Amino acid sequence: MTDVVDLGDIRGADAGQVGPKMARLGQLAADGWRVPDGYAVTAAALDGWLPAPARAELARLFTGPATGHRDAGHRELAERAARARALVESQPLPAQLQDAVAAAHARLAARTGRQDALRVAVRSSAVSEDGHAASFAGQYETYLGVSGVDDVLRHVRKCWASGFSAHALSYRRRFGGPGPAGTEPVRVHDLAVGVLELVDARSAGVAFTLDPVTGDRGVCVVEGNWGFGESVVNGHVTPDHWTVDRAAGQVRTARVGTKLTWAAVNPASGRVGLSPLPDDLVGAACLTDDEVRYICERATAIEAAAGGVPQDVEWTVARGLPFPDSVYFLQHRPETTWSASRGSSSETGAESGSVTIPAPATGEPAFDPVRYALRNVFKVPGT
Amino acid sequence: MPGDSPRVFPVDEFVKEELYPGYRQAFGSQPFVAGPVRPFSSRDNERYWLRDSLHFSEGMVPASIATLDDAQTWGAQLGAEIVGVPPTRGSVNRLAGTHVYIGTIDVDTQWQVQARAARFGAYVSPVLADFGSYWTMRAGELQAAYEHFDNLDLSVMTVPELWAALRDAYAFHRRAWFIHFEVMYVLTANYLAFYALAEEIGLSGSQVSSFLSGQQTFYSRTDEELWRLAGLAKSLGLEAALTTGSASDMRARVRALPHGASWTASFDSFLAAYGQRLEETCRIDTPSWAEDPSPALYSIGAFLAKPAGFDFHAARAAAVAERDAQIEAARRAVNGENLARFNAALASNQAANFAWWNEEHNYLIDRRAAIPVRRATLELGARLAADGQITDPTDMFYLFKPELFAVMAQDAGASWAELRAMVPDRRAYFEYWRERGPSLPPMLGTIPDTVPDPIMIEVFGLSGRFLETMRGETPADGPAGAAVTEVRGFPAAKGVVEGVARVITTVGDLHLVEPGEILVCGGTTTEWTPAFGIIAACVCDTGGSLTHAAIVSREYGIPCVVGTAIATRVVKTGDRVRVDGRAGTVTVMAP
Repeated sequence: MTDVVDLGDIRGADAGQVGPKMARLGQLAADGWRVPDGYAVTAAALDGWLPAPARAELARLFTGPATGHRDAGHRELAERAARARALVESQPLPAQLQDAVAAAHARLAARTGRQDALRVAVRSSAVSEDGHAASFAGQYETYLGVSGVDDVLRHVRKCWASGFSAHALSYRRRFGGPGPAGTEPVRVHDLAVGVLELVDARSAGVAFTLDPVTGDRGVCVVEGNWGFGESVVNGHVTPDHWTVDRAAGQVRTARVGTKLTWAAVNPASGRVGLSPLPDDLVGAACLTDDEVRYICERATAIEAAAGGVPQDVEWTVARGLPFPDSVYFLQHRPETTWSASRGSSSETGAESGSVTIPAPATGEPAFDPVRYALRNVFKVPGT
Repeated sequence: MPGDSPRVFPVDEFVKEELYPGYRQAFGSQPFVAGPVRPFSSRDNERYWLRDSLHFSEGMVPASIATLDDAQTWGAQLGAEIVGVPPTRGSVNRLAGTHVYIGTIDVDTQWQVQARAARFGAYVSPVLADFGSYWTMRAGELQAAYEHFDNLDLSVMTVPELWAALRDAYAFHRRAWFIHFEVMYVLTANYLAFYALAEEIGLSGSQVSSFLSGQQTFYSRTDEELWRLAGLAKSLGLEAALTTGSASDMRARVRALPHGASWTASFDSFLAAYGQRLEETCRIDTPSWAEDPSPALYSIGAFLAKPAGFDFHAARAAAVAERDAQIEAARRAVNGENLARFNAALASNQAANFAWWNEEHNYLIDRRAAIPVRRATLELGARLAADGQITDPTDMFYLFKPELFAVMAQDAGASWAELRAMVPDRRAYFEYWRERGPSLPPMLGTIPDTVPDPIMIEVFGLSGRFLETMRGETPADGPAGAAVTEVRGFPAAKGVVEGVARVITTVGDLHLVEPGEILVCGGTTTEWTPAFGIIAACVCDTGGSLTHAAIVSREYGIPCVVGTAIATRVVKTGDRVRVDGRAGTVTVMAP
């Protein structure tokens, strides 16, 4: 496989190169679903990326006598992680890889017809991410609203460097995986990066092909908010919530959530960030009943194509397109995998077996006290 | 009263240049993050100041002002800087006479808030990811220091060696208080995130601390040991001697009785393990339990005096069962994504539990960190008194640390004669202000509508309602309108009881509380804990969900309302009152 692959050339079997997330998206596209177009930088291309001096410096940072010990100071870990990230982000990608990304980006700009106005999402796609109990969910970053090849290259490096956050390293120390004390200190992760056209989201969210709380497979559950899906998958809002009777294809319950923020394009920076939800959207449901039923029907079809294993599906309704062409699917995952990983990644085990809500793929754990405190206790704008 | 001019309780009466007669702070004498303990100045009318009777009920002697400087002032300011708490740069203190008022330093520009928020995230995330190891390391550091200081044989040291030991003790004290605030800000953020989440998902934030209760702490073990000693006394027929007469000669009287010596031997081994605690934070002029066990004896007497007895294990088991039932009820009330968030927040708070740490750190820091300073100070004072430099070893408490350090270092211009001469005036000054303590206003300066520092809200109880009550107060004459019959506060522990009120303004009067009474006070600290075994309910002027009274009431299963602002002035001892710990109301019943 080449270093950079167009989405149209990616199939489900390519998970080992581009990560399961991008592999499934490629398969969806091949099966004729509306998905955002894009390309992937393979894990293999990035694995050989760092030049030898940078590798040596990383090895020094994470295998020194002080940090080799399990009880190395947290502050020191944080400092070393920050230095590692800065080091990784500062390394230019090999010229050959830069050229390949530039070429793929030009092809994408042409296919979408957007040319220079193309805005993309740069998403980490860990090769091991979905399959393991302690899956490092939420340890890697996603960047929305990136434009231009230079910016894309910079964010590819940032995605890769995000594996060096103190949080991620600490998480690895607790749940295993090669860490600071491991035998392979430098290659801390097997990460591909996906670059996808940013769909101009009017509304977005997730759908489950069973009730994730009760396990009832007679219903689909749809949750969503206005704007991009990050506000839903990262838990920034209590989303709108629908249950749909699968057999009858009818909406059984509808509850409008307390949505006070949304993820939207900041006109100044062109990037997607959280901001207060405009007054006219507060209290308004983000989907019509037709859209809800359609999303459930499609999610059910994805489940059937996945061998009948319950799925959770991320969807987006694009602005300015006629229904149902407006409905895009960004990714899907087997729901049961997530149920199991939730239980075993829990600190206390107190909730094992009773919680079947999937964790977000590229967001945070179900609840991050630090982010929540900054946002809802200290009320720091923009957090 | 929106639209009214701001409410000001003038500080003018307390404005001074000197902290104590003959002591004016030298500029830059202390390397402060934001500002040392100072007397009030007229500019202080522009900000709010809360009387910290929670920690310091009786006033500070000069030597304890150095330990206060380390603790609530410097420690809080450095902790807030290091952790990067976004809305506050920590607390700052003023003295009205000898009494401590606390204010906060708000961060008031957006850039600083953002910069601090970034620091906060980077600092707190890894700590919360593995709080167990983090705290074990800090607690180990503190224990190692105590082992060092406890094993020093001060009696064989020369004066220069004693002075070095005192400097060590001060250095350790400062370090201990930095640890205190570093950890406290981290844990408070974790707790407050859970609190806000609970409110967001339709639970009550006031429930959150009950979800975290029922943990064994050093102080609950202390109480349990006291309870055991009470049981032992009962079985040995020593009850009468422990419930009557004054505490000062109680031990001698008990020892003289049949079986008395075996009981006092048990009591002494208790003191060896649990006696390293001062009566108040930073108060190096107060003895530890090991030196004067009266508070422990009082506690034992209180357990013996409760008519129905008190079953410690049953109370614990009930508190744990109640906690688990509340958690289960909460889990049933939320679903979907919110249940996952609730569970994750609960797990984070179980692993890094403020309610548990609040008691545990009192033993390791608040009540203990100043003991090495006290011991070295008194031993040095004994030598100096023998040499005639001072009159009495306790004169040392009336010297400011910079004065003592200057004279010990033989700085030009420092003389024992000058210092010695000031001591009588300073003793009188302390006594004068001690008498005035109970009548000082709970707040001074300009009462704000809200305070941005969540720690001031949850620990000190400066809620919007508390501030509103304060704005309705007349400065000197107690509550506006004489016929107040209901006060409202934070519902800290559920349950409804009616009973006779006992208003207590200083921990020294705690022995006046009779079994079954309702304790009404400014606020409680660890020293008040024994009373919770005998009272029917607790009501405090100050406090929020994280204060001592709230936490301990839940452990003892009694109703508690905190942060009422005015309960000690509305309720009189002997009033019949009804406390509703779920509604947060205290009603004075018609006679």
